[in-house]
Amino acid sequence: MKAAIRHLKRNRGRSILTLLAVLIPVYSLVVMFGLAGGNLRDMFDTATRLDTGHLQIRHAERRGMGSALPLIKDPDEIISTLDRIEGIAWRTLRLDLPAIASVGERSQAIVVQGVVPEEIDPISSMRGLILAGRYLTSKDEGVVIGEELAKLLKIDVGDEMVILGVHPETGVGALKVPILGIYSTPAAAMGRTIIQAPLDVARRLAHSIAGATAVVVRVAGVTGPWDARRIDRVVAELRAILPSDYEVLDWRRLAPQVASYMAIIKPALFIFAAVFFGLGALVVLNTVYLSVIERTRELGLIISLGASQWRVIRMILLEAGILSATGAVYGALAGVSLVWIVEAFGGLPLPAAFSSMMKAIGMNPVLHLRVSFSQVALSAAAMAGVAVIAAWYPARRASRLEPVEAMRYVG
Amino acid sequence: MSDNRLIETEGLHKVYRTGTVETPALRGVDLELHSGEFTAIAGPSGSGKSTLLHLLGGLDRPTSGETFLEGRAMSKLSKDELAKLRLTRIGFVFQAYNLIPVLTVLENTAFVLELQGVVRAERIERARKILAELGIEQYADRYPNRISGGEQQRVAVARAVVAGPSIVLADEPTANLDSGTSLELIDLMRRLNSEKGATFLFATHDSRLLDRVSRLITLEDGRITSDETR
Repeated sequence: MKAAIRHLKRNRGRSILTLLAVLIPVYSLVVMFGLAGGNLRDMFDTATRLDTGHLQIRHAERRGMGSALPLIKDPDEIISTLDRIEGIAWRTLRLDLPAIASVGERSQAIVVQGVVPEEIDPISSMRGLILAGRYLTSKDEGVVIGEELAKLLKIDVGDEMVILGVHPETGVGALKVPILGIYSTPAAAMGRTIIQAPLDVARRLAHSIAGATAVVVRVAGVTGPWDARRIDRVVAELRAILPSDYEVLDWRRLAPQVASYMAIIKPALFIFAAVFFGLGALVVLNTVYLSVIERTRELGLIISLGASQWRVIRMILLEAGILSATGAVYGALAGVSLVWIVEAFGGLPLPAAFSSMMKAIGMNPVLHLRVSFSQVALSAAAMAGVAVIAAWYPARRASRLEPVEAMRYVG
Repeated sequence: MSDNRLIETEGLHKVYRTGTVETPALRGVDLELHSGEFTAIAGPSGSGKSTLLHLLGGLDRPTSGETFLEGRAMSKLSKDELAKLRLTRIGFVFQAYNLIPVLTVLENTAFVLELQGVVRAERIERARKILAELGIEQYADRYPNRISGGEQQRVAVARAVVAGPSIVLADEPTANLDSGTSLELIDLMRRLNSEKGATFLFATHDSRLLDRVSRLITLEDGRITSDETR
C-alpha cells in the first residue's frame, strides 16, 4: 500500500489525470441525478399539490358524462372509510364542474374546483400562490382565479364574473360571484382554466346539496415519485374495501405527464451514466497502460525476483483502486456540495426565456436539485468499480511481461 | 553425481529469432553446479554468458535442452511455478536497474521476504540484520537515488541473500562500478560465500572478479570451452 501511494506520488501528473477521470464522471452523475430528481419532485409536487393529490376516489360511472365527472351522492361515507385506514395524511372533498366564465362579452371555458378551504392546505399549495386579494374561507361566496384568466377576462380582485356550470346529472346552473383572489402558478394552462370556489358554492352551481366529484387523498410520508410504493399500498387497500361503484385513481393516472417523464428519464440517465463511465474507463485504461509501459523495467525486476502474475496484477489494481476510490469520493463530495449550495440558495432560477417556456409546460422555472444517498453511493461505487475493471487489461499485460525482455526495455 | 549438486543442464540450446533471422546464443551447454561454489562464467561479449545465467535462473526458457534445479526440471514448470522457484531458491544481482526506486533500502532488501509472505516484523528484522552484516545499515531509510552505485549493488546483494536462496546469480555485478568499489563488492560476496556458504554464479568478464572465483567456466560462441576448478 505504502509503495503504491509512493508510485502514485512519483507520477503526480498521471495520477491526477486518472483521479479526474473518475472524479468528473461521478461529479457529473451526481449533479445529473440531482437535476433529474429535483425536476421530478417539482413535477410531482406541481401535479399532486396543485391539482390531483396522490390519489382520488371517484364514482366509476362514466357513461354520458362527457368531460364532467359523475357525482358521488354520499361522499361522507368514503371519508369515514378513509379515516379507518392507515397511511392517509389528509383527505378532502372536491367538486369539479366544467363551466364557462364570462365577463361582459368575454368568456372562457373553465373548470370550477369546489374545495373545503380549511382542509386544502396539506393537499394544495393554492393559498401560497395568491398574488392579489386573499384565499377562500368556507363562508365565502366568491372565487379565486388564475392570473392568466384574469388577464383574459380583464378582471381584477373585487370584480364580478358569471359562471355557467353544466353537469349531465343535474343540468345547468349559473352564479354571479366576486373575485376574492388571483393566484399565480408555474402551470400556465392551469391558471387559465382552473378557478377555486368554496365547496358549497360549487354544490349550488351543480344543484347537488351534499355531492362531490372526488375525494382527494394525500398519503403520509410521500416526498416524490420514489415513494410511490406507499401510495400503491393505500390504493390497493382502498380498491379492496370500497364498493365497486367507486374507482381509485393513483397519481400515474391523474398526472400521466409525471409518469411519462419518469419513464423517459430513467433510461436517459442510464445512457448518460454509461457514456460517463465509458469515457472515464477509457482514460483510466490509457493512463494505467502508460504507467505500465513506463515502468516496464521495474515490473521486469519485480517479476524476476519472483512475483507471481496475480501479485503483479494486484499491485497495478491496488494503485488504480486507490486513485479510483479517491476520485469517486471527491467527485461525490463535489457533486453533493453543489446540490447543497444550490438548494441553500433556494434553487437555480432559469433565464427569462426558459422561465416562460417552463411555466407554459407546467414546470417550475427555478431548477431544484435533489439527490439521494443511494444515488450518490451507487454512482461513486460503480465508477470506481468500472475504473478498476478498466485497469485490469494493463495489469494483466504487466503480469505477462517476460522478465528478461522487460528489464532490457528502453522507454 | 555428488549429493550437493544444485544445478544441472543437459544440451541447453537457445536461439533468438528476429523475423526470419535466427541467432544461436547457446549451442548445447552441459553443466553441473554444486552448493557452496563461487563460480564465474567468463567469455567475450556475445558468448552467451547472460543467456546461460537467465536460463539457469528461470528467467527465460531454452529452445531445447533442460535445466534441473535441485532435481526439478524447470521446463515443465508453469510461469507462476517458475516465479515461485525464483522467489524461494534463487537470488539475483543484475548489472543495472537493480532496486525499486519507490522503496527505501530497507524495503528493497525486505521485498523478496514480502513476496514470500513473511510477516512485517520478521522481514524488517532480517533485512536490518543482513544490511548490518554488509555494513550498509546506515542507508536503511534512504531511497536508491540517494546512495552511490556501489552502495546500490551492496543492497542488491543483501536482497539476493536475505531469504537464504540456494544460489545467487549475478549478471555483470561490477560492470558499472569503479575499481575500488568493485573490489569491495567482490570481497563482500566472497565473505558471504566462505562464512555463510552462499553459492554464487557470476556472468562476467571483469578480471578482478575472475581472479577471485574458485571455479571458472569459459564460454565461447555458446559452447563451454573450458571448466577450471582452482
